[in-house]
Amino acid sequence: MPEVKSIFREVLPKQGQLSMEDVPTMILCKPKLLPLKSVTLEKLEKMQMEAQEAVKQQELAMKEQSL
Amino acid sequence: MEVTMDPLFLAWSYFRRRKFQQCADICTKLLQDGPYDQAAWSLKTRAFTEMVYIDETEVDQEGIAELMLDESSIAQVARPGTSLRLPGTSQGGGPTQAVRPMTQSGRPITGFVRPSTQSGRPGTMEQAIKTPRTASTARPVTGATGRFIRLGTASMLTNPDGPFINLSRLNLAKYSQKPHLSRTLFEYIFHHENDIKNALDLAAQATEHAQFKDWWWKVQLGKCYYRLGLYREAEKQFRSALNHQEVVDTYLYLAKVYQRLDQPITALNLFKQGLDHFPGEVTLLTGIARIHEEMNNITSATEYYKDVLKQDNTHVEAIACIGSNHFYTDQPEIALRFYRRLLQMGVYNCQLYNNLGLCCFYAQQYDMTLSSFERALALVASDEEQADVWYNIGHVAVGIGDLTLAYQCFKLALAFNNDHAEAYNNLAVLELRKGRVEQSKAFLQTAASLAPHMYEPHFNLSILSDKIGDLQSSYTAAQKSEDAFPEHVDTQQLLKLLREHFAAL
Repeated sequence: MPEVKSIFREVLPKQGQLSMEDVPTMILCKPKLLPLKSVTLEKLEKMQMEAQEAVKQQELAMKEQSL
Repeated sequence: MEVTMDPLFLAWSYFRRRKFQQCADICTKLLQDGPYDQAAWSLKTRAFTEMVYIDETEVDQEGIAELMLDESSIAQVARPGTSLRLPGTSQGGGPTQAVRPMTQSGRPITGFVRPSTQSGRPGTMEQAIKTPRTASTARPVTGATGRFIRLGTASMLTNPDGPFINLSRLNLAKYSQKPHLSRTLFEYIFHHENDIKNALDLAAQATEHAQFKDWWWKVQLGKCYYRLGLYREAEKQFRSALNHQEVVDTYLYLAKVYQRLDQPITALNLFKQGLDHFPGEVTLLTGIARIHEEMNNITSATEYYKDVLKQDNTHVEAIACIGSNHFYTDQPEIALRFYRRLLQMGVYNCQLYNNLGLCCFYAQQYDMTLSSFERALALVASDEEQADVWYNIGHVAVGIGDLTLAYQCFKLALAFNNDHAEAYNNLAVLELRKGRVEQSKAFLQTAASLAPHMYEPHFNLSILSDKIGDLQSSYTAAQKSEDAFPEHVDTQQLLKLLREHFAAL
């Protein structure tokens, strides 16, 4: 609809200087897409978790024995 | 009388169904009855190996010692476009830091993370030592103290009767004569025990027994040399193996050697050579794409990832990388299609839902945004992930103008991960809007010390100091910002202004 008449008319200053000041503003860090993990990495992490758990269990058992 | 199945057959069946613990248990019983049962012994070694098997072509971990005391580099300052260590040298028309966040090593973040990309190369010793303290992925002091050795010792600890095979009492010469046992034994020593020196001994004797004609043993020798850090020897073995037999894996191992030697161009040529023999091979194409990505040449990396997808349209890495590239080149709706495709393929984790949420928000599909983030929060596996998800929700809150929610989100991100530098920076911006200058300054300083590679905290600190009249601090902060991101226009304008001030004094 290009022919619709607008009731607002554009106002351009005829006198004086038109100036725009570029004020530096603080910036936010950008949103972060999270990288997906490769199968190998997931398996590594899983194995590491399991190993840590196993060691913890053994240490607990050792403590109970010594008590 | 009940008829029972032959135990060895049952063990084999368990092995084929990947029930390795049951398989190993049966083999243990068989070995108790007859300690010289070679079939049971061999099967048990294979079961143990499979339990901890990881794809060796994918694994790569550089310790601080290997990084900083590097003997293999040819030049201190490599020419642009020939090294993986100068991340900023070849801009392939990708988005700048102003749009795409950087990792600590100064590379744009990628859509996919592998063991080798987890931690890039820091520039200085100080940074190298500092990095593990701030990131969720810790860097070991040397490759020998890394993950491998921890896995190896853990597997021994869990066995109350001590290790299955006592390597120090093993007569390697005897085993190397028996081809049907030596291979499984080698894999057991290499993967399960992580005893590379013994593995190397066995491989050397076995290859001698095979009269240096067996490509398999040469590849294994190369793998051992690689783990021991003898890259030139590894290269020789792999080259020699390729002369006997063209195998895709050997190309991948050899390329890994060249990447470690910081010769990406040689690696690229090698991959292309491999593609002549194996046209359209997905792993080779992926290798090329990864090198381009590491050299900061995102555009051509994307081209190669597209080639990968032409061969294998379910390749998660390629889809994720192309998706993230679209997101950061201002096309979130296309990125959304790629991530949706991953969802259709059955990838179901926190990272994917987080990315979907972000894409939905920036593609103006507001109905899906919050539900995606809710799912992401329900699927988190660690505190660091939770922090990242809250950080991104904070961005959505900023986008809809709900600054109170944004404030709370960034605070939550910090509650889950106290080293989240981005959250500190954004929180500082919000604090300044509330007029709390001191608090804002404190947050910015924290962010800057946590992540010196980011330019945002330095730049913000510079503006803040400039506003309160502390021109000297403003100037130093602006200089740091320029170091982190030389092309940033606002920083340069600020610096110019400050220099004019100082000149007028």
